[in-house]
Amino acid sequence: MSETPRKVDAVCNEHGVLVVREGPSANCSSIGSVVDTLFITSVVGGALFVAVAAAVQRERDKVTVVGAPKADDEKEEADDAPPP
Amino acid sequence: MRLRHEEWGAWAMLDAEPVLVALHHDAVRALGISPGAVAPGPRPPLEAHVAVTERCGAGCVGCYVDAQPDGHEPTLAELDARFAELARLGVFVVALGGGEPTTRRDLGDVVRAAKRHGLSVVATTSGLGLRDEHITALSELTAVNVSYDGSGDTYADVRGFRGSSGAESAITRLTAAGVHVGVNVVLTRQSLPQLETTVLRAIELGAREVQLLRYKPSGRARSLDYLTRRLTPEQVAALGVDVEALVSRLAGRARVRIDCALLPLLSLHPAFSDADALKKHGVMGCEAGENLWAVRARGSVAPCSFTGSDEGNALTEAASDTGLSAFRAWNSAPDEPCASCTLFRACKGGCKVVSSFLSDAHGPDPECPRVRAHAGRVG
Repeated sequence: MSETPRKVDAVCNEHGVLVVREGPSANCSSIGSVVDTLFITSVVGGALFVAVAAAVQRERDKVTVVGAPKADDEKEEADDAPPP
Repeated sequence: MRLRHEEWGAWAMLDAEPVLVALHHDAVRALGISPGAVAPGPRPPLEAHVAVTERCGAGCVGCYVDAQPDGHEPTLAELDARFAELARLGVFVVALGGGEPTTRRDLGDVVRAAKRHGLSVVATTSGLGLRDEHITALSELTAVNVSYDGSGDTYADVRGFRGSSGAESAITRLTAAGVHVGVNVVLTRQSLPQLETTVLRAIELGAREVQLLRYKPSGRARSLDYLTRRLTPEQVAALGVDVEALVSRLAGRARVRIDCALLPLLSLHPAFSDADALKKHGVMGCEAGENLWAVRARGSVAPCSFTGSDEGNALTEAASDTGLSAFRAWNSAPDEPCASCTLFRACKGGCKVVSSFLSDAHGPDPECPRVRAHAGRVG
């Protein structure tokens, strides 16, 4: 992994990280979103995304799949599906 | 980490830090994880707000569910079944609310039941009358938010009684117990001018996160008083600058969050004007019925805590719930000006609780500056 700072879009493309949502919010009535990162530069944001991509890698050996469908109603993934 | 397959890849909730990540197919494959099947139909939410009781004796004038001291309280077994179903669906986070969760004598058991199902569990409390056993129960949570709209008169103006010292004590005691504490600050015409003072006070007491909440006409707040409490158009116009200044003032001492209903009110500020950037940073607008569901104390499902009624389907029948599907249907074919708004993919049309109150329609948020400008253009 290059140490050169990169912008958010570049990191997303390289690591396949589409969204980073910091949380969870502890509010019980409406969904909350951290906005601090909207005010930082894209390069600093890129560093955040790189750190998250690294954190994902550190947990690659302890993955629990949740929300798996029942066998009789499975649908295959679609490579062209729009991102979240 | 917990990972849920999606058509575009997977959502992953990390174990080591509270971060939810959307990963493209290729990133999932790079983890050595085979592509997974996805159930047909609407996707389950990422987060569910679960009312563990309807009881609350605080009597806040703007309570969004009109909570009462003698409200309904589901049994522990009923709640356990709801947590099990949410976990089966692949929900990552449950936020315990009410009513006031600390009115339950078995709050610790409720928290442990949710955690046994592998859910990340958080809660909101008024903090009033918090006893040691409540602190113990809440200390098992990922995070706790205390409702704190300001000190003294500011709190009293929003809530209708002088309770800020109770909330302040709760922030201090929960922090001392090692809890990650945030504060919920409701923004009204009267509380907004005190925002910086309120937030700095909360941080001084130990809060590490600030969630800014839009005042909504729901429950006891669904009255004409709403019109004198909501933010003025001038306050809305300056809100983005206010939030930016707050983030700068805190300089990393505490995170700043906005709730889903605030996104349209910030839509004139450059930092909130790029839907792609907002989505990449996980900033969500109205996700009611999609990435967010609410489960009421009697077990019915609702698009969010402010909507629906006890007539909603049981959680196990959520797939056919008409309330959830109405929100999804509007999002798939929104009315103008949302349909052509560049922010729609993130904003989702603003708060439908506000639109249903002000215009009696499930439609664009009438308080959004972009919607107001459009209305001015078309007359």
